Amino acid sequence: MNLETDEKGCTNCQRAAKWRQDFPIEWEGDHYVSRREMVKFLTLGSLLLALVNWATVLASRFLHRGSKVERYIGLASSFDQSESMLFRYPTDEDPCIAVRTPEGKLVAYSQVCTHLSCAVVYDKSENGLFCPCHHGLFNLDGQPVAGPPTRRLPRVILKQRGDKIYAIGMEG
Amino acid sequence: MSFRAQGTTLFAAILILVASAVVLQLWLLTVSMEALLSGEYKTLLPAAAGSTVLLAVNAGLLRYVFRFDRDAQGE
Repeated sequence: MNLETDEKGCTNCQRAAKWRQDFPIEWEGDHYVSRREMVKFLTLGSLLLALVNWATVLASRFLHRGSKVERYIGLASSFDQSESMLFRYPTDEDPCIAVRTPEGKLVAYSQVCTHLSCAVVYDKSENGLFCPCHHGLFNLDGQPVAGPPTRRLPRVILKQRGDKIYAIGMEG
Repeated sequence: MSFRAQGTTLFAAILILVASAVVLQLWLLTVSMEALLSGEYKTLLPAAAGSTVLLAVNAGLLRYVFRFDRDAQGE
């Protein structure tokens, strides 16, 4: 084997084939190659992580595919102030609650508490949505104001046509 | 110090930067998964954009490594 060290301390650098440079017999060359390969490997991992991250964006479009469905939920005239009504949206497995606020505005949210998924109910005295399991409370904007929940309730978008109220979508 | 010995030190520094970016991407992915499962979809797009920016940084560093390696072979 003909090993030649040049004036820069590089052994057999100029004459060795590329494959031979990638399998060096000295530690210095070995560190060079292994670190270079590790950078390549990690960048490939970085590409995969970015792709999976974009896949979550795509998945979010399909997970609640039923949420764009329009669904009749009741008559506006049947709602008195400070009263609530239960309905299902976007599917029959998704309980929701609509509330006529003391100001007369109609709002609707998912009935599933964002803490541990108990069903929230309208509490007139607190003017909010109360979770009886762990005494969580959401105001009528859907924001958590007391108890363990930290995330807001998903809002149901309502549309009124004449006297009829329709649910037309969900907001995360 | 030979050109390749300089490369060894340089690659170690680049490796630390790339590894840090990958750890950040992993964290962004866990945040995205949690947001996806809890229905907080507003978080997903910024997290994916951030992950792409980190990928671009890593790709830039890898390109530098390739160029350095090409120079080292041509030396």
